[in-house]
Amino acid sequence: MSKRVFRGTLLAQRRTTQMGSGIEFSDHREYTPGDDLRYLDWNIYARHGDLLLKRFQEEQDLHVYLLLDCSPSMVMGDPAKFDLARHLTAALAYIALADLDRIAVLAYADGIVEEFPVTRGKARILALMRFLESLSPSGEDTHLSRAVQGLVHRGARSGLAVVISDLFDPNGFQPGLDLLRSRRFDAHVLQLHAPQEADPKLLGDAELIDVETDSVRMVTVTEKHLRSYKKLFQAHQQSVRDYCANYGLGCTQSPSTVPFDQLVMSMMRTSATGE
Amino acid sequence: MSFAAPIALTLAALAVPIIGLYILKVRLRRVPVSTNLFWKQVYDEKPPRSLWQNLRHWLSLLAQLLLLGLLVLAIADPFFAWQAARARRMVLIVDASASMQASDVEPTRFAEAIAEAHRIIDGVRDHDQVAILTAGVVPKVITGMANHAPTLRRAIDSISATDAPSSIDAAVTLGKQLVGDHPNAHVIVISDGAEAAPPDVDWRVVGTAAANLGITELQARRSFVDPVGYEVLVEVLNASEEPARGRLELELDGIIIDVLPLKLDAGETWSRTIEKTSLEGGQLTAKLTELEQTDSLAIDNKAAAIVPTRELQQVLIVSPGNLFLQKVFEANPLVRVTLTNTIPEVWPADTIVVFHQSVPETMPERDFLVIDPDADCDLWTIGDMIENPIVTEQDEESPLMTYIRLDNVLVPQAREIAFEGDAHPLAATVSGEPIYASLDRPAGKGLVLSVNLEQSDLAFRTAFPIMITNALAWFADQSGEWEPAIASGGIASITAAGGEKRTLVSPSGERTPITGDRAGPLAEVGVWTIEGEDSQSTIAVNLASPTESDLRPIAPSDLEQSTSIAGLWFTRPVWFYCAALAALLFAVEWFLYQRRLIG
Repeated sequence: MSKRVFRGTLLAQRRTTQMGSGIEFSDHREYTPGDDLRYLDWNIYARHGDLLLKRFQEEQDLHVYLLLDCSPSMVMGDPAKFDLARHLTAALAYIALADLDRIAVLAYADGIVEEFPVTRGKARILALMRFLESLSPSGEDTHLSRAVQGLVHRGARSGLAVVISDLFDPNGFQPGLDLLRSRRFDAHVLQLHAPQEADPKLLGDAELIDVETDSVRMVTVTEKHLRSYKKLFQAHQQSVRDYCANYGLGCTQSPSTVPFDQLVMSMMRTSATGE
Repeated sequence: MSFAAPIALTLAALAVPIIGLYILKVRLRRVPVSTNLFWKQVYDEKPPRSLWQNLRHWLSLLAQLLLLGLLVLAIADPFFAWQAARARRMVLIVDASASMQASDVEPTRFAEAIAEAHRIIDGVRDHDQVAILTAGVVPKVITGMANHAPTLRRAIDSISATDAPSSIDAAVTLGKQLVGDHPNAHVIVISDGAEAAPPDVDWRVVGTAAANLGITELQARRSFVDPVGYEVLVEVLNASEEPARGRLELELDGIIIDVLPLKLDAGETWSRTIEKTSLEGGQLTAKLTELEQTDSLAIDNKAAAIVPTRELQQVLIVSPGNLFLQKVFEANPLVRVTLTNTIPEVWPADTIVVFHQSVPETMPERDFLVIDPDADCDLWTIGDMIENPIVTEQDEESPLMTYIRLDNVLVPQAREIAFEGDAHPLAATVSGEPIYASLDRPAGKGLVLSVNLEQSDLAFRTAFPIMITNALAWFADQSGEWEPAIASGGIASITAAGGEKRTLVSPSGERTPITGDRAGPLAEVGVWTIEGEDSQSTIAVNLASPTESDLRPIAPSDLEQSTSIAGLWFTRPVWFYCAALAALLFAVEWFLYQRRLIG
């Protein structure tokens, strides 16, 4: 999923830019006194008389940060977006752990509300699942940039940051993603929405209660208003796609009714083809 | 204001549940949403709930209560005192005579009259009472006094024009009886004119001074002298201010028998008698064709008459021999003659027996003619000879003596006859002795002529064949009189065996049982049929009315035109306006509701 190559600390299955004692040949460099003669390329010296040292690419682990939206808006939908988000988090975490990568899960709403610290090894998947099970929607509203700031302040190494959210952020989703980019995180957006959010079946007089802010809006919904709403919703979805496309971020949008395995497969295929 | 059904006001209590339900309804649905971000943008341009929308609930409740109030009022049927005081009593008379079928106004005068009647009904106010009459053959009440407009309209639509003359005067008399002495009484006549306009009547004249050429008479009868002949009387009226040209075609059972060119001056009546022959007779039809001018009434362009069929007669002559007697019967094409010189033992059926100088002891139960009887029988006794009798008395009224004069006939001898029963003398001597008499018995008709043919010059006279022809017609019950075609609207006299069930069938196929010896009024032009159990006869009915054929109505200025009786703007009952307002209110509320939802 990661499009970039990050520098790890432990040997793993992910190639890094760091030259070391790996087995994958990278290039040559001039021999300087003091270099380990084991890495001298004797074949070249025999043919050309040049003293060149063989360099190898070291394989290291990747830091995967899963930013899980726990705001109250994630309870909407049937099944709830939050359930699908947790399933996806677990699945992605398991894949990463299986690749000997490090993962961390940050549950956020108006800030980071819960954290599963950086960990490594498939054995940790059960602990992660227990952590995910213990999560419940909380917080007042969605504030992605504050969550990313929390991530940065924790001194996290750059790596892959997967944002799993509906992105109904009153402050906009862009500041949070901008911060990730500026900190050289390889961000991937996994945006979920409930079907009734895309196509609300609502007509007539109603009190609209924002589940995050508890703000109430008394409205009379007409067909015309519905058309405007759908247009705005689609524009929001499109803006997410455009942002990700502009900055080379991975983007997956899905209604909450899609099974998580199908969605993960789709994400993997999309990443593999580089679309 | 009063109410026709004040108990309905209790329905106003329905306002309580309406208010209760409305209080429950005011509480809005609470719909949780993930975010109000988009809804906020949707309503950016317009506040989500404007003042109107906040007030709308109360206004809507007000509208519903108003709706209920209007419906309750409508059911309670309110009315004002002045409405009852202004109520009118009207009789609407629609002329349904034949001339109303004229097409000088589109589509017909009658259709225009019906439309005018509907317009009058449009102006009927609440509490007005209207009766509808037609002036056809006889005045007919279509509906009695009523105020229900749909009922009145249905009654008007049920009226149809007849082929008969109108009875405006009688209808107006009946209409005045219906309105009585009501202070707001109106009698309205919708017609194309009348010979004399009755007073105190609102006239609505339809039609124009249209030109028309029509057959005003068509009659046919059998000839008195020609056994197979018949005569036709036809009369055509040019009811216009211009000369008229055309053709008159005569058909007998569909076969053209004559075509006469017509050229009539303005207002001229053309009349002609035409003689034709036909043994079978049939339906005679006269048609006006090739008309070179406008003709606005079609019904009088055709007329019919019935030419009676002549039946063959069997005649048995029992005579020692007389050529004149034999030939006078054989010369008649309707007679089949059988000769014998002896009195037969068995009398043939349906045969007229002629006895010449021979008489059986008992006269047969047949029609008979006895000439110069020489013996007594059960009906008479022969007396002395009358020498040189002079006929001085003749029954001029009897069809047997039509066209016959016997006073100058040379009769050397005649026999004196004393009849046993009643005998009707047709010709008698100066001393009162009958020399020609008729006997009317149940067993058959009889004629006795006591003149000796061999000694008299009667056989050489033209009176003789006429006498025999009259006798044959009398035996055959052929009167020779007019069998007139009946003018439409007339009554037909019917003669038939007592107790026989008969049915009158109109030209359009409508069947009516006949009771008594009269049928009618026959208000449809054409050939009517009278069906008996074993017999069938026909009656021709024609318009035959110069008044109806003359379509030039009385000018409106000649008639007393009344002011409009339209009911201005407030013609319907109060409940109607309440219901209409409620429906309007309902429609507005429905529209606004839909508009709120659909935008």
